[in-house]
Amino acid sequence: MRIEERRYTKADHFRATGYVLKTMKVTFKGAIRATKNRPCTILYPWEKLLYPDNFRGRPGIVLERCIGCARCAKECPNQCIEMVTIELPDKGKVKRPQVNLGRCMMCGNCAEACPTNAMIVTPEFELCSYSRGGLIFDPVKLQHPHKAGYEVNYSFALLSEMNAGGEIKTYAKNDNSVHDTIVLDGAKCISCSRCAKTCPTGAIEMVETGEVNPKTKKPIKQPKFDNTKCVVCEQCVDVCPKSALSVKEVL
Amino acid sequence: MSNLYIELTNFTEWLLGLVAALLDWTKLGFLSDFGDWLQTAPVVDFVSTLLVAVIFLITAMMFGLCFIWQERKTLGRFMDRRGTQVGFLGFFQNFADGIKVILKEHIVPKDSDHLLFELAIFAYLASTFMLFGCIPYSDNFYVIDVDLAVLLGIAIFAFGPFSILIGGWSSNNKFTLIGGMRAAAQLIALEIPLLLCIVSVAVLTGDLSFVGVVTWQEENIWLIVPLCIGALTFFIAAIGESERIPFDLPEAEAELVEGWATEYGDVRWGLQMASDYFRAYILCGLFTMLFLGGWAGPEFIWAEAWYLSKTFIVFFFFIWVRAATVRIRTDQILKLGWRRLLPLAVVNLLIAVALKVAGVF
Repeated sequence: MRIEERRYTKADHFRATGYVLKTMKVTFKGAIRATKNRPCTILYPWEKLLYPDNFRGRPGIVLERCIGCARCAKECPNQCIEMVTIELPDKGKVKRPQVNLGRCMMCGNCAEACPTNAMIVTPEFELCSYSRGGLIFDPVKLQHPHKAGYEVNYSFALLSEMNAGGEIKTYAKNDNSVHDTIVLDGAKCISCSRCAKTCPTGAIEMVETGEVNPKTKKPIKQPKFDNTKCVVCEQCVDVCPKSALSVKEVL
Repeated sequence: MSNLYIELTNFTEWLLGLVAALLDWTKLGFLSDFGDWLQTAPVVDFVSTLLVAVIFLITAMMFGLCFIWQERKTLGRFMDRRGTQVGFLGFFQNFADGIKVILKEHIVPKDSDHLLFELAIFAYLASTFMLFGCIPYSDNFYVIDVDLAVLLGIAIFAFGPFSILIGGWSSNNKFTLIGGMRAAAQLIALEIPLLLCIVSVAVLTGDLSFVGVVTWQEENIWLIVPLCIGALTFFIAAIGESERIPFDLPEAEAELVEGWATEYGDVRWGLQMASDYFRAYILCGLFTMLFLGGWAGPEFIWAEAWYLSKTFIVFFFFIWVRAATVRIRTDQILKLGWRRLLPLAVVNLLIAVALKVAGVF
């Protein structure tokens, strides 16, 4: 609808058309249209709007793919994702994300951050519940059948390649050849091997450096990172007691 | 006497005869005397009048409810949406609302004038219900047909602003007081053009009873043709009199909470809200009767149906105006009433007099 800019003068007070007759004409046209076809409103509980293919409803999870890296929980802007321990038949006790949908704003960042595309966005939006507890979806309840297109993908280019002026390649999400890397400060490492135990993908292996501890006469082990397996979940960085690990961003 | 009265008198005689026979069957002397007294003419007249009144009240209230339903659905289409959806085509919304207001608590403000507060709303409702009795549906279906029926109806109608002012003042609330004042100012400003239009009708038809006016229109012409200016004036003034949207200052939801009825709760508020529609129904009926030939029409349906369908069409125009126009200020309403509608009504009266003097009708 067009909004006309118009100044009303005193002469307009004597003119019925602008105030009454014109508006009556406009509304009558609208009423005829709404009666002949149908009103623009829909009868919601019985009829539903068609949602677009890329509609982002509540997050869902494909439990077989999830590796428990907790990147979704780190990424969530509303901090509604929490890693809880559940018992899976084939994997035993593992940590999987639980989503508080009362806080969720359906941004889909969790699905974007997921390295294995286990976290997906589903078209479900009817999330009414009689209690707040009913809105906290544990990993089992969060499950949703996967369909192509539910996962959130993106591609990126490297800043260094742009600055170099050469060919700019675009990389897909989770391209193992180019991603951030974990760097070890060997002087700080105390060989506790907690990082290797925490790693959800088994990308860390404790290898001997060749040196021997002068007190215990045992060989010193330090973590070695397999960058093709690493998903940069940074759990090893968090768990390191001496802050020996840090993330080196790929630029 | 209308056919309704005759049939109901027969029914009452049969009913009271039945009661008298039952009392006679007890073989008690004083009860038999009572049964004989029940069959005398005054008692039969009284009971049949009561029955007519009850029938009229119920039918008029049902049509008033139909008006609320019509407004909800039609206004919905004007606003590109569906109206209410409760029950069959949304008709049971009124009953749901009615049950809701009946279940509400009866609240009287602490510092209000209790007696006037309780009485004012009943004065308003009583004047509305009395108006039902003044409007005939056809020459066979009416309560009273006195010679000055139009004048009687308008006199009862003029009682409304009085009770509104009393109710607004006795609530001891600034919103209700302002609403009452506005109602009084607006209704008086618009009532005079309304009355002058009716005077022009009386000049042309030479009759002030509805049956006489409608009979005249059946014989000659619908009065909307010679008195089109008067019909327009009457229409605008009627919208203002029924306090509907372009002129809804007494009940200005945006400024005055609920206007003069702010402090009224429970079923009194429900009846006040419904009686706005009853009054709109009565004004539509008046317009139909005075300008659209009342129940006059081809005889393939009943006369009552003609009257009601015309009334519903007039109310459609009420709704249309509501959907199309914006609310106006108090001073604009008064200016419209005194400086535009009053001269138009006088011009209309002159036309009526000229037509009468020239001997056209």
